[in-house]
Amino acid sequence: MGSEAASEPLLRLRGVTKLYEAGAGRVVGLSDVDLEIGAGEFVAVMGPSGSGKSTLMNILGCLDVPTSGTYEIKGKSVAGLSPDRLSELRNREIGFVFQVFHLLPRHTALRNVELPLIYAGVPREERARRALEELRAVGLEDRKEHLTNELSGGQKQRVAIARALVNKPSLLLADEPTGNLDTRSGDELMEILAGLNASGVTVVLVTHDPAIARRAHRTVYIVDGKLVSVERFREIRG
Amino acid sequence: MTRIDFVEVAFDSLRINRLRSALTMLGVIIGVAAVILLVALGQGTKNYVEEQFAGLGSNILIVTPGKIETKGGPPIIGSVRHKLTLNDSRILEKKGYLFAGVAPVVFGTAEVRYQNRSRNVSILGVTPAFQEVRNLHVEIGSFLGEADVDARRRVCVLGRTVKRELFGNANALGQTVKVAGTLFRVVGIMEKKGISLGIDIDDLVFVPVRTAQELFDIDGLFEILVSVRNKNDLNSGKELATSLLKRAHNRNEDFTITNQAAILSSLYTILDTLTYVLGGIAAISLLVGGIGIMNIMLVTVKERTNEIGIRKAVGARNRDILLQFLFESTALATAGGIVGILAGVAGAYALRLLVPKLPVSIPAWSILLSFTFSVFVGVFFGVYPAKKAASLNPIEALRYE
Repeated sequence: MGSEAASEPLLRLRGVTKLYEAGAGRVVGLSDVDLEIGAGEFVAVMGPSGSGKSTLMNILGCLDVPTSGTYEIKGKSVAGLSPDRLSELRNREIGFVFQVFHLLPRHTALRNVELPLIYAGVPREERARRALEELRAVGLEDRKEHLTNELSGGQKQRVAIARALVNKPSLLLADEPTGNLDTRSGDELMEILAGLNASGVTVVLVTHDPAIARRAHRTVYIVDGKLVSVERFREIRG
Repeated sequence: MTRIDFVEVAFDSLRINRLRSALTMLGVIIGVAAVILLVALGQGTKNYVEEQFAGLGSNILIVTPGKIETKGGPPIIGSVRHKLTLNDSRILEKKGYLFAGVAPVVFGTAEVRYQNRSRNVSILGVTPAFQEVRNLHVEIGSFLGEADVDARRRVCVLGRTVKRELFGNANALGQTVKVAGTLFRVVGIMEKKGISLGIDIDDLVFVPVRTAQELFDIDGLFEILVSVRNKNDLNSGKELATSLLKRAHNRNEDFTITNQAAILSSLYTILDTLTYVLGGIAAISLLVGGIGIMNIMLVTVKERTNEIGIRKAVGARNRDILLQFLFESTALATAGGIVGILAGVAGAYALRLLVPKLPVSIPAWSILLSFTFSVFVGVFFGVYPAKKAASLNPIEALRYE
């Protein structure tokens, strides 16, 4: 994967525009975005709320498709894929970590981590084994039978990371992962993400917090649906 | 996702929402139980009626004097209405090759007295053939004999109730009782038979037919019971009896022959219809239970929008979500069906204990039908909510709190 990355970026967006139908007219979510992310990178996407961060994240995560422009993962375009093909793509290539955790309530930690493997058609025993491995990696092996609502915020987010990584995706997509955590848990989580990246996982982190963004190797700035330079971003932000 | 997996996923959510699952099932449980119970009730009613008629025998023709018909004009003066006589009975007996037994019957009521105890009862004047034709037998002593009839002896056989009322526990055989003021010797006691068609068989006194004619001062008969050898010959037996009697009555058809089985079969048709109607009404409640499932599943889909979003984000296809929810509703309905069958069967047994007179019984088809219907209801009413769940947009579903 590493050698491929030098020639071919993992993700490539070309002139990506996303428009939403909203009441009277159309709202621009993203406007003509060009972006390449190589395998093994740690990229932060920064922007104020309403800037198009979430839209970009939805498109990167194959939860949504661009209105125009192309988005390629490993050189393959996602344009024209059916919802089911997009689901399969998400299952294989993308792991999500959300600000509000999005764990299944009243299911055990282990069951949550198993979830992507269920939809990947992995047999039950292998599923349990791999999920347990992933929980061990985030230090929650002893919490496997706990229901998610019995876990602390930091633990929840670690379960979410285990779930995101269990099917060995190409990309870990984290949307404000520290947004609902206290400082200490947030710091711990960033350590985990940094460690994962060091071991080769490509991480894209969406945040509005400069302190968090600083942990990434590269930061892209987004304002009003357009990617801007850091100077322009500072100018706008005042 | 393999088949085992979505079963697992569906059972997970059913287990997690135990109370709701149980309440949803309740609609189907009540529906299925109602179908089984009401059909059992209908069947029980039919059985009850069948039992009541069973003593009569389904191979019996009843000949009664007089013709039921509408006549025009004033009655012709001097026209004699023919009675049924013992001669008619003898003709049927001699020439009726299809008949197993011919029993002439005279009917009347009289006071029966023994010492200082008396009772007003129905008196049947019969011949020995009556026993076989009506399937009634003596328990103690003997029934009336041929010689008793011919010699017009004053002997009688008492029904169980009559014997108990007049004699208590004392021996009645050989004693003399007064029937309408005339002395009769008791030669037999009938076995206990109970009530059939509102007539208490045990509250009758049997005397020889000629003796009865003398007693009531009549020369005709109340009716002639004819039992046919073969059930299939009921219609030809009726024709035979008609032609024999017409010849004896100067070609006048001044009698009526009723086919017991024909009346019964139309009654059974009515009772079957009643059973189906009851089952149908209960099926409506099952349908309502199904709508309950749909209702709950729709609420569930709404409530679990976020869960659906999560599942889709990590790779669930529309089909996976559809199958999960469809399986949940089907599992609910099926489980409800099974519990409903158990409840219905238990209810039917309870009913049998509470009302022993009503012989409720559960036909296999009602169990099979209500179970199949409940599964069908689960699938049918599960499809719409499941489709709704499957078609949710993952981004909006994730945003839904």
